[in-house]
Amino acid sequence: MERWVGRPAGDAGADRRQSGDGAPTPTPAPARPARPEGAGWPARLRRALGVLRAFWAANLAEELEYRANFLASLFATIFWLGMAVLTAAVFFRQTEELGGWGFWEVVALLGVFNAIGGIVDAVLRPNIGRIVDLVRRGTLDLILSKPVDAQFHVSFRRLVVWRLADVAFGLALSVFALTRIDRAPGVDAVVAFLLTLAAAFAIVYALWLGLMSFAFWFVDVENLGILFDALYEAGRFPVSAYPAPIRFVLVYLVPIAWITTVPAATLTGRGGWATSLAAAFVAVAALVLSRLLWRAALRRYTSAGG
Amino acid sequence: MTGGASIVAERLSKTYRVKVREPGLAGAFRALFRPRYREVHAVEDVSFRIEPGEVVGFLGPNGAGKTTTIKILTGLLYPTGGRAEVAGFDPWRGGAPFKRRIALVLGNKQQLIWDLPPEETLLLNRAIYGLSDAEYRRNREELVDSLGIAGVLDKPVRQLSQGERMRCELAAALLHRPELLFLDEPTLGLDLGAQEAIRAFVREYNRRHGATVLLTSHYMADVTALAPRVLIINRGRLLYDGGLTELADRIAPVKRLELVLEREVDRADLERFGAVTVLEDHKATIEVPRRDVARASARLLAALPVADLSITDPPIEEVIARAFAGEATKGVDAAERAGDVGDAGGARGAGVPEGAPSPTAAAPPRKEAE
Ligand SMILES: Nc1ncnc2c1ncn2[C@@H]1O[C@H](COP(=O)(O)OP(=O)(O)OP(=O)(O)O)[C@@H](O)[C@H]1O
Ligand SMILES: [Mg+2]
Repeated sequence: MERWVGRPAGDAGADRRQSGDGAPTPTPAPARPARPEGAGWPARLRRALGVLRAFWAANLAEELEYRANFLASLFATIFWLGMAVLTAAVFFRQTEELGGWGFWEVVALLGVFNAIGGIVDAVLRPNIGRIVDLVRRGTLDLILSKPVDAQFHVSFRRLVVWRLADVAFGLALSVFALTRIDRAPGVDAVVAFLLTLAAAFAIVYALWLGLMSFAFWFVDVENLGILFDALYEAGRFPVSAYPAPIRFVLVYLVPIAWITTVPAATLTGRGGWATSLAAAFVAVAALVLSRLLWRAALRRYTSAGG
Repeated sequence: MTGGASIVAERLSKTYRVKVREPGLAGAFRALFRPRYREVHAVEDVSFRIEPGEVVGFLGPNGAGKTTTIKILTGLLYPTGGRAEVAGFDPWRGGAPFKRRIALVLGNKQQLIWDLPPEETLLLNRAIYGLSDAEYRRNREELVDSLGIAGVLDKPVRQLSQGERMRCELAAALLHRPELLFLDEPTLGLDLGAQEAIRAFVREYNRRHGATVLLTSHYMADVTALAPRVLIINRGRLLYDGGLTELADRIAPVKRLELVLEREVDRADLERFGAVTVLEDHKATIEVPRRDVARASARLLAALPVADLSITDPPIEEVIARAFAGEATKGVDAAERAGDVGDAGGARGAGVPEGAPSPTAAAPPRKEAE
């Protein structure tokens, strides 16, 4: 059975085209598309930053609609930090050290834990955490029709700016803890710390992206964010406090150790340059892996194999 | 090969693999370990080409494969078979340069930021499309004018009416002045006035910028008002490609004689002149072959006590409904089979005699294999 096709050689098209009244006629499409514009990466970076600025400008406007969140969020942060430090203090009444770490070192780690948690709540949860939602509502289709990398778009479209207070308070707590151990870090330690902290951000990001990419295979997975929270809880203590098998998992399989223990260790002068470089390496590997996973997920979504 | 066409679809096919969900807990468990799949042939062997500046209506009942085709043409879906070329690009590989030239509007999805005024989405899209200040101002002003949305741009989207929201959606989607518009049910759920506003806008945009438009809608008025040419698809297969008037000629090559009679007459008396579709006491409607209209009406006036007679075309809705039912293929099969199927520029079937034998089944039942 064949179709009833058979349109006469394009006529309707020709007479719909209007060349009068100086209206711009579209330039005919190049048979072979030229290289994508902005091929140089500085140009691309500049464009990406422009888009990011627009994302966050829109977002700030959105958040300002819900100003009350700010105070609630601030109280939650302070309350949580206070509880965490108190718990640690109670714990340290029984013992001198936890996995070889003293009380203030553990507090410095709690600061890092809180700061990274702040990034998760400010950037990851509201963006990557909602991918399932984007798929369900079909918003992802519209995102894919835009000339911006979809991973970039779904990762950074939103910013829950209040949660950045967690980052500030967390880092402040870490610095305060440092003053109590009398181990003022040198410039190199600060640089190493910033490097491992950046690596930690990259690793949490990759973890989230990886987890959410799985959602494309199991669309029913409602909230993988909860799975992350469970894993992340393990980052509250230095990895050395865990038995060897768990330590192995946290260092090599689910890279939670690199997210909290390593930056805190670097800050308190426990980690060497080798650790910082290893953290950077893990971060790059995690980013690459998660990008691959995301691409595979998108290929599945668009049914381009996989 | 593509010869400057805006959109070329060559034997496009899309088969979805759908997990079969069995009811009940046991079924759910079985599906967990040994999932079964069913294939849905959403689009099968669809070919057409659209020239720059054309406005084409894409018609078909629910589930016909319209949205799927549009998603393939915009690079959101990878076709199972066949080839697409849009604005000179392979939609799948075109990347950002391709996406800058098209716009996709999905009537049931929205890109506007819910809690913010539409203006914010415009600003966002300005960054996304990398528009200069001058371009942004020029395009924005033009869209705001022709869509008449100046008054709503600063109200949060959640407070807008559906019609206002869709007009703002269009503004956001067309801010980069694309040359190709894919509009999937842009008038979904709008009242008549709002539908007309959208239609007027699309017509104006097409006229002003020579943009190519592929438009789906379940409202016939959208199509009759905008698109001289339609593609009719059903169960994934293209049934018809051509002008609306030709479609009416082909499917219903009849005129309607609407009669008001001075007294009641027997149905049998009327049936001598043509097919009686309505007969209610003093009113009757008879369908007669187009070429017999003059003769039939003359004979009618002479034979029966006619108080009033008017001659009309069957409404396009009815024609299309019949096309969906598969009648579009009536009388064309033989000609098609004789000619080259892949030759889209070939015979339109215009020379096919009316009343050629109609195929028993117009569209094949959808194949669903496990
Ligand atoms: N993501 C998907 N996975 C599986 N099947 C799908 C998917 N999307 C569509 N289908 C199926 O493919 C067929 C065509 O769907 P499509 O959405 O293209 O139809 P449509 O012509 O746009 O219909 P409507 O007028 O209702 O919008 C339908 O049978 C539908 O159930
Ligand atoms: Mg549809």
